[in-house]
Amino acid sequence: MYQEELKEYLRFSRWPTMWCPGCGLGIMQRVIAEAMKESNLDHTNTTIISGIGCTGRTAGYFNFDSIHGLHGRAVCLAEGVKAVRPDLNVVVVSGDGDIFGIGGNHLLHSSRRNANLKVIVNVNDIYGLTGGQMSPCTPKGVKTVTSPQGSPYDPFNAQGLITSNAHYFYARSSVWHQPHLKKCIKEMMSWHGFALLEVRDYCIENNGRRLGFKNPHEMLMQIKETYKIKSDLQPGQQLAQNELGIMTR
Amino acid sequence: MDTRFLQGNEAVALAALQAGIQFYAGYPITPATEIMELLAEEPARNPRFAYLHFEDEIASINAIVGASLAGAKAMTATSGPGFSLMQEGIGLAHMTRAPIVIVDVQRVGPSTGMPTLPSQGDVMQARYGSHGDFYPIAFSPNSVEEAYAQTIISFNAAEESLSPVVLLMDGYIGHLYEAIDLDAVNIPPVPRSRPPFGQGRRHFTGLLSRDDVPDTKDSAYYREWYAGYKKEIQIVADKYALFETVPNDKSNTIIISYGITSRIVRELGDAYAYFRPIRIWPSLDREIIEACQGHKKVVVIEMNDGQYGGEIERILKRESVSIPVIGGDLSLSQIVATMREKKVYKA
Repeated sequence: MYQEELKEYLRFSRWPTMWCPGCGLGIMQRVIAEAMKESNLDHTNTTIISGIGCTGRTAGYFNFDSIHGLHGRAVCLAEGVKAVRPDLNVVVVSGDGDIFGIGGNHLLHSSRRNANLKVIVNVNDIYGLTGGQMSPCTPKGVKTVTSPQGSPYDPFNAQGLITSNAHYFYARSSVWHQPHLKKCIKEMMSWHGFALLEVRDYCIENNGRRLGFKNPHEMLMQIKETYKIKSDLQPGQQLAQNELGIMTR
Repeated sequence: MDTRFLQGNEAVALAALQAGIQFYAGYPITPATEIMELLAEEPARNPRFAYLHFEDEIASINAIVGASLAGAKAMTATSGPGFSLMQEGIGLAHMTRAPIVIVDVQRVGPSTGMPTLPSQGDVMQARYGSHGDFYPIAFSPNSVEEAYAQTIISFNAAEESLSPVVLLMDGYIGHLYEAIDLDAVNIPPVPRSRPPFGQGRRHFTGLLSRDDVPDTKDSAYYREWYAGYKKEIQIVADKYALFETVPNDKSNTIIISYGITSRIVRELGDAYAYFRPIRIWPSLDREIIEACQGHKKVVVIEMNDGQYGGEIERILKRESVSIPVIGGDLSLSQIVATMREKKVYKA
């Protein structure tokens, strides 16, 4: 049924997607499409830009004019699109390794320039497509194939980076908290200026199994139990690590 | 008549506007910065032109690829270090068939090298710099007027071939002032060939794809795709088979040079035949073979350690004499000294 409702938004001729069974990316993609539909964003006024990685494939699954660019360069490529087509809603969908890792410099400067882009980052704590290497969001101590003794570093603090700007829209949600996720997407789409949404996700095949999770449902339940929606955020207050919410200035 | 006293870099900026540029993205670098500075003034005059000063050359090249796919004529300009950073993005433009123009005002490398001194050291990088097989078009002007004309030609060739085109300038031409008549360069701009974004459901990807869908396991399809892509670019390149030749039946020696070097070299006089490729990539194989027929010695003079000379030997399937002019100080006396040393100088 959802295929009929979202056929203008998603390119179902390419189904099944290349994502693993149980992956949270399908949830995120559907919620983005629903939020777009409810916000009157469609192929005549919106374009999707992705980088490289599992999440990077998102652009190709949208039934819009879309670009699947280079690793880490989705944000700057999107800024080029927006510069020549200010009438289009330019939405970037990519992963934490792509946007925060290799593309970190572009995120820093595009957000500083307050480029009118909507950047949705799927955070699954891992480089999934290449087999489960440590990403900028891998929690400290978590073992991956490139951090066999556990990640020695604190994860990337996107909230800190984005909210250091004079003007910002920063939101955090998860693939479990779908109504909240949809609300965040709809709010970011109506925001004028740079908007970043972190979507907490998981990777069962190339991370979760190694950490002892038996199936994607267990990982989804962990997200459900870990994260709480913070709705009474005061100005100047930051979200705690386990909180979901929207911060703007 | 619209005669102006212009620097090579200024001519490139004016030509880009003449060609219909709608977007410039860049990062300052010696000796290319003037192009960016001039275009930075343009948005205030022309609301249909967008300009962005990015954080680096990687962002710049990706932004012009995005702008191009979205429907705008786009360009960036840089020098060696930035050109190196742009290589992955140039590959993306080849794979997504994005018409863009990249101006490389060459300086002495490797690395930071000698930033203010000219070079032709990026000739092979322009051909092979990005990973994998690709088939680029590049032009090499030898005057301010040619810089102007070939910038417009680069935009046109990019649009017609749906591929990135490189204008291989050098620090010398970039900063050289000459009087040129802009009206005398009558090259009509080619209109945009692709519809802009927001009208369709097209998907552009750096992956090998068929009908907008990635198809990354079919080797036979790759070969078919590559042959088609190469042929399409060759057809456009053939339209711009630009070169200059000075035949000389009496000389046993032909000198091949390009860019600013070719102008110094002509001071050597009537004792030689000369050939100057203007479209430097794809190489003008047939024209070079024809020009070199009947000449026992082929001398290649260039501001690098024999890069194009190797290419000439590949084309002719015989030895050439390389006269490298490296280190940025292009002078006739130095060329003559090396030619004497290699016994190809005719007093």
